[in-house]
Amino acid sequence: MHKYRKTDVERLALGVIKYGLSLLLMMIVLFPLLWLFCGSIKPEKEILSYPPTLFGSKISYKSFARIFRNIPMAVYLKNTLIFAGFSTAFAVLFDAMSGYAFARLRFKGKNVIFVIVLLTMMVPYQVMMIPLFLESHFMGLLNTYPGLILPKVTTAFGIFMMRSYFAALPKELEEAARVDGLNEIGIFFRIMLPLVKPGVMTLGIFHLMNNWNDLLYPLMMTSDTKMRTLSAGLALFVGERATTYYGPQLAGAVISITPLLMLYIFFQKYFVNSVVSSGIKG
Amino acid sequence: MVEKIKVYWYRQDKVAYVFLAPSLLILFLFNFIPLLCSVGIAFMDLDIFFSSPGFAGIANFAKALQDERVWNALKNTLVFAVTEVPLQILCGLLVAAAVSGTTLFSKTARTVFFIPVVCSMTAVGIVWSLLLDGTIGMVPYFCRQLFGITGLNFFRDPNTAMGTVVTMTVWKNFGYTMSILVVGIQAISTDLFEAARIDGASRIQQFFHVTIPGILPSLGFCLITNMIGSIQVFDQVYVTTQGGPQYRTETLVQYIYKTGFSNPYDLGYASAISVLMLTVILGMSLPVYFGMFRKEEG
Repeated sequence: MHKYRKTDVERLALGVIKYGLSLLLMMIVLFPLLWLFCGSIKPEKEILSYPPTLFGSKISYKSFARIFRNIPMAVYLKNTLIFAGFSTAFAVLFDAMSGYAFARLRFKGKNVIFVIVLLTMMVPYQVMMIPLFLESHFMGLLNTYPGLILPKVTTAFGIFMMRSYFAALPKELEEAARVDGLNEIGIFFRIMLPLVKPGVMTLGIFHLMNNWNDLLYPLMMTSDTKMRTLSAGLALFVGERATTYYGPQLAGAVISITPLLMLYIFFQKYFVNSVVSSGIKG
Repeated sequence: MVEKIKVYWYRQDKVAYVFLAPSLLILFLFNFIPLLCSVGIAFMDLDIFFSSPGFAGIANFAKALQDERVWNALKNTLVFAVTEVPLQILCGLLVAAAVSGTTLFSKTARTVFFIPVVCSMTAVGIVWSLLLDGTIGMVPYFCRQLFGITGLNFFRDPNTAMGTVVTMTVWKNFGYTMSILVVGIQAISTDLFEAARIDGASRIQQFFHVTIPGILPSLGFCLITNMIGSIQVFDQVYVTTQGGPQYRTETLVQYIYKTGFSNPYDLGYASAISVLMLTVILGMSLPVYFGMFRKEEG
């Protein structure tokens, strides 16, 4: 009897702590974002006002107008869409093709090639960024869309991940298709690829999120203002202290995070999966 | 001719190379070649304008070892790593333990905690810089009003800058660790918790004797990836402090970037520092890898 009461008290105490701290933490997470969205539609004067306020007295879109005037925001947005969009689309296709080959096809040299692919996964990007920069320079790829996109159209991690999705499919699938006389390309695109749709979505979100938010890579590969992406362009804009206005910085931040947040609302499962799948395989 | 190609489409040992070709070509061009060159460039006298390229021998490495800013950057990077990583894992672990359930509250909490992971560090840096700003920031204002602490200037004060960068990074990334650990916790058989409960184990005992052992592999994974990631810390420093004040937050990658891509534009020297960084990363991650393998064997 005594023991039960003790666990009940403990359960209650832990419950209070759990809900209380969780709610507090949710507020700590949400507050800066709420402040960001409110701040971006406040008049500049109220951002500077003392004491600081969360909500403005009236809605003003001046900060958005200013950021588009101060820096080529529309160009950044277009560049980011092109860079992240094409990189992601190609990377998903090529990673899936290679992952499929490693998982389902028999060919000479498979293990050796796979080990080499895995080795490239171990090397941190920062170690090879200067040679990559030089190589792109010699190939005339700096400040071009192909230069931004090409190095990102496949990743060892993506190949590794798609391989495990394809390996999990039942064995008899392609045998039946081969007996029916379908060629290997057809088997891949018509039968196998549709079966790993969750994997394709997860990998797509993974690449999209990484490319959209990437800072160091586009910063290095583009020196021309016209070629900058959102996160690089904004970071430079803020870093150079090129503005005495705070509102435009907030408006820029809102523009850069809103597209992914919208996607997150609809595809939350894949966002979390893309992070977690990198964890399970380790 | 067409017939010949068509035959290939039906041979899996041939078509495999077609499937692999794009990826292998790209990996070779943009991963393998740069990797091979990275060490070579470190031994060269090379700036971004190619003004007088030549062989430098070990001069770049010798210079790096005597460069106070390299040692300072290394120290800052290690300070960042050994504070940020444990904090993020601890935070992620406690949160994961609290909200790993399938109730609406737990799911909502997880949704919220993951939001910062989706946001770019650039945007997060802008928000935190302004919220913590010494003159217009809301956080210093409340610290003054509620606790009477004055003169707080988080990112601009040499004594608090690194702590602030660490805190901001934990805020942005703990949802990542949480998500991985939640999957680990959910994979633990409910029978184990049931058995522990029947044996009279309290919730806290269950946490230490069932949950923690059950997610040990996930914890190990988080430790390695977060460690390697934190040695490469750049974005959060670049958008908030730019390495300042007084070089207190200058990290290795930040210094490599500054050396190579702004004045003095010295690519050879920057490469040498990045090779040194690679040895640090290997030095830190290999023991952890070996430790994990030994544990799995034993």
